Amino acid sequence: MQVEQFHYDNKIVKQFAYATALWGIVGMVAGLWVAIQFYAPGAALNFAPTTFGRLRPVHTNAVIFAFVGNCIFTGVYYSLQRLCKARMFSDKLSKIHFWGWQSIIVAAAITLLLGYTTGKEYAELEWPIDIAITLVWVVFGINLFGTIIKRRERHLYVAIWFYIATWVTVALLHIVNSFEIPVSLFKSYSWYAGVQDALVQWWYGHNAVAFFLTTPILGLMYYFLPKAANRPVYSYRLSIIHFWALIFIYIWAGPHHLLYTALPDWAQSLGTVFSIMLLLPSWGGMLNGLFTLRGAWDKVREEPVLKFFVVAVTCYGMATFEGPMMSLKNVNAISHFTDWTIAHVHIGGLGWNGFMAFGMLYWLIPRMWGTSLHSKKLATNHFWLGTIGIVIYAVPLYWAGFTQAQMWKTFTEEGQLKFQFLETVTHIIPMYITRSIGGSLYLIGAFLMVFNLYKTIKKGKFIANEAAEAAPLEKHAAPVKEHWHRWIEKKPMTLLVFSLIVVAIGGAVEMVPTFLVKSNIPTIASVQPYTPLELQGRDIYVREGCYTCHSQMIRPFRDEVARYGEYSKAGEFVYDHPFQWGSKRTGPDLAREGGKYPDSWHYNHMMDPRIMSPGSIMPSYSWLLDNKIDTASTPAKIRAMQKLGVPYPAGYDQVANKDLLTQANGIRLSLKMDKIETPKDAEIVALISYLQRLGKDIKATAKQ
Amino acid sequence: MPGIFWYRKISNQLWKAMMIGAALICATPAAFAAGDGQPGKPSSIDDPFVILMVIIMLILLLAIGLLAHVVLGAASFYYQREKEREQQKAGASTTVIVTTIALLLFAAPVFAQNADAPATTAVQTATSFGSLSATAFYAIVGVIGIELLVLLALLYQLRTFLAKEKLKQQLASNAATVQKPRVTIWAKLNKFKPVEQEAEMDLGHEYDGIRELDNRLPPWWLYGFYASILFAVIYLWRYHVSHSAPLSGEELQIAMTQAEEQKAEYLKKSANNVDENTVKLLTDAADITDGQKVFTQNCAACHGKAGEGIVGPNLTDDYWLHGGGIKDVFKTIKYGWPEKGMRSWKDDLSPVQIAHVASYIKSIHGSNPPNAKAQQGELYKEDNSNNKTDSAASKAAVVTNK
Repeated sequence: MQVEQFHYDNKIVKQFAYATALWGIVGMVAGLWVAIQFYAPGAALNFAPTTFGRLRPVHTNAVIFAFVGNCIFTGVYYSLQRLCKARMFSDKLSKIHFWGWQSIIVAAAITLLLGYTTGKEYAELEWPIDIAITLVWVVFGINLFGTIIKRRERHLYVAIWFYIATWVTVALLHIVNSFEIPVSLFKSYSWYAGVQDALVQWWYGHNAVAFFLTTPILGLMYYFLPKAANRPVYSYRLSIIHFWALIFIYIWAGPHHLLYTALPDWAQSLGTVFSIMLLLPSWGGMLNGLFTLRGAWDKVREEPVLKFFVVAVTCYGMATFEGPMMSLKNVNAISHFTDWTIAHVHIGGLGWNGFMAFGMLYWLIPRMWGTSLHSKKLATNHFWLGTIGIVIYAVPLYWAGFTQAQMWKTFTEEGQLKFQFLETVTHIIPMYITRSIGGSLYLIGAFLMVFNLYKTIKKGKFIANEAAEAAPLEKHAAPVKEHWHRWIEKKPMTLLVFSLIVVAIGGAVEMVPTFLVKSNIPTIASVQPYTPLELQGRDIYVREGCYTCHSQMIRPFRDEVARYGEYSKAGEFVYDHPFQWGSKRTGPDLAREGGKYPDSWHYNHMMDPRIMSPGSIMPSYSWLLDNKIDTASTPAKIRAMQKLGVPYPAGYDQVANKDLLTQANGIRLSLKMDKIETPKDAEIVALISYLQRLGKDIKATAKQ
Repeated sequence: MPGIFWYRKISNQLWKAMMIGAALICATPAAFAAGDGQPGKPSSIDDPFVILMVIIMLILLLAIGLLAHVVLGAASFYYQREKEREQQKAGASTTVIVTTIALLLFAAPVFAQNADAPATTAVQTATSFGSLSATAFYAIVGVIGIELLVLLALLYQLRTFLAKEKLKQQLASNAATVQKPRVTIWAKLNKFKPVEQEAEMDLGHEYDGIRELDNRLPPWWLYGFYASILFAVIYLWRYHVSHSAPLSGEELQIAMTQAEEQKAEYLKKSANNVDENTVKLLTDAADITDGQKVFTQNCAACHGKAGEGIVGPNLTDDYWLHGGGIKDVFKTIKYGWPEKGMRSWKDDLSPVQIAHVASYIKSIHGSNPPNAKAQQGELYKEDNSNNKTDSAASKAAVVTNK
């Protein structure tokens, strides 16, 4: 058959590679900044956009969706063309994809800093951006499948299976979790409430890790690692079994983020057991990567690219071992809500994702510029800086997490809690300082890489269109006897549908009963909807990202019941759109904050937390004292809540503001008694009303 | 020299050494049996922890047996070599003596440990470890500790022998053979085929230069995967079918009951059960200092570092909202006045701590700190009638806290 001549599109790869490096640096700088705020609250600059609560989502979104996202696209656009022996389906779609994704990132950064957030971790972006993401993702999908369909290679390589599973699952996760009802251009409420919202959110959150940070990167590993080592992939059958097992099992494991919460026990148990079963399929990827290097370990000694890959794959193995262990209830009781989790995700983030990205860039850039790397020595230095950085980052945080959990749980012999919450925080501040040093080293390494790549690019000449040739596929290939799995490797659409079915099962089994079976969320008669003022206060709570440091979920442990009060019940959250259980306790739990302190305490505490709690690391929120409550939005908010089934009386949206002002006046008077003068429409008043409501409803039943 | 003859020539000294070695092996199962008898109570043997421990014990025992076998083999082999030399050089039986002493030395602490273990466990019966009694726990830990010690001693012995052997072998310098077995274990564990044979496993797939091999799944990986599925089934069975493991709510109940028991036990013994009716004003400097510490940590946020009052009232003047007697203050701290913003501290502070901090507050009366808050409440005078006011305040507190 006639061999066809064509060109690979390197320009789009170059663009994504540049974006990877740029957003990587931006995301890491944001990370370092928030890390410093842990021991220097002044680093929040007393400026709303730079407080931890707003900057932390910027950090997470930047590193996940901007840095790793662009890294994925870089690798996919490079490897897909070569694995399919075809140019990308459409240069125009590539371009739309690239610029679309970058504008989403910029929009995300701006809106998050301005406080526009849905309050759901890793899905903070508001509804217009959610829609834009969906559209760009579809563009990517068309381009991906278009290329696959016009391929000149009959079978799809394992990397492409992972790309396909990634594409379809991320689409599913994003759409289901982003169901929200818009109130205004940049404000919406989650469609789901309380326990259900938590389940959907962590089904999403966990699988964002799975299908954004893991499966696509595994795909990249399957391409770049054997290429860089020039070794055959160790085991084809291991690829098959670990691919299918991984995507099937991963999706079930979300509830391990909600152990000991108000989520029904059966769902928690499913989360635990599927996490345990996930260990070996995850390790399948690690083994296939490391064993591929058999016979090439001498190269690892010299080649920085392989060094990065080896540590990346090893970190992947460590993180996927630790994850299942943390899903065991007795371990989770210690690790959850502490810095242990932060250390865990950074082994994955810095080690696996970061090092895969660095290794890939060091390999790609010289090739696309037809030259060699500017300095292998510099790259090796980057490798060591990064590796040491990871260790110095993670070890103190493991220590901090474990120490703090033990302090939380320590009782005196008299049966009292031994440590005040604040003591447990100030105790681990040295660890926070050390962590930020580790992070700095890692960041310096990234700068070295940028310099090294810049020098490499200067040295070479960019090959925008790389010539290639291959025979087109025969229409009717003669049947040959082959491995059974080869069948589906010829059928991308079938593979797509099968992947979708496999990933849909787990989510459906966990979600459908939680939504439909009433007994899963026993209602509590005394739990009432929020008043308009409290609702406004809650929106401020969400806007400032309070959930990034404060949980609202008292677990059924002796120490938490002693410290915070009665443990949280599923029925308490039925009007919480979105839920605000949080995932980290840098500050104390707030689920039963209502009535614990006087209004004036909250006022002073928001103005400067260190007045009321010397040594506190919470930022000041002085602007809440001056900002005015956006009362114009109240009717729309009430109507949106009504649509979601919150039982406000019909027509309440019109009178809600009257109630709001009455309640606000009450708080103004109570503050005045403590010699604090404040206008009743200050945001602080709304926030105080919300905080004073938290966890109180259930106490009303107790009195009756 | 033919291998059969040396055997007959073994001296009485070595026989002794070997007997001690054998006694050692026998002693360990005995210790094991002694330890196992105690956790064998019907209640604790179901405990997965106990089962795990027993399994560990058995594995260690097996390891001891194997290692002892190797050590004895090495010892006799080594002895034979020495014998040869002895014949050549005549004399130098010191090594045998050294060996015997060494064997005796590591055997002795083992027996000593055996004797110690029951003694320590007998003392600590009060505490318990999960569902295990302290005796059982210490017995298990003791046995495992002894087994580990024996293992270490055996390893040390073996190393001594090997080091001597190695020294000799270094002359021949064939160290490569020593490394070989490690590689084979790793390869066996993964069912590796030699890299040289991989052409046979090439599937003929080729994607942009990437080829694929058809290596078998590493057996430990595969069986590990099966084991994790088995774990899942057992886990779900225990929590949701047989209900033999406590769900979160039940776990809390268990923890609370235990805590209550421990607390009651402690309070019975200690002089800690002060309450608002029995509290006395303390003037001891140590008590006041402790009270000040508690005050700074917990109260200063609202009442000021010097008790001058911020959000909460001034505590140094003559005016009190809820009575200024020691009993009133104690009561206010203990139960709080939640509707006025004063929280209850009885879950955070022990009765003695409350007494200390109440006495400290009384001690700063009239200290006139700067920035003092204006007076609140009624004028309170310390006099004989304070018993009256005290009891009145007590009543009010009881009512509001119901």
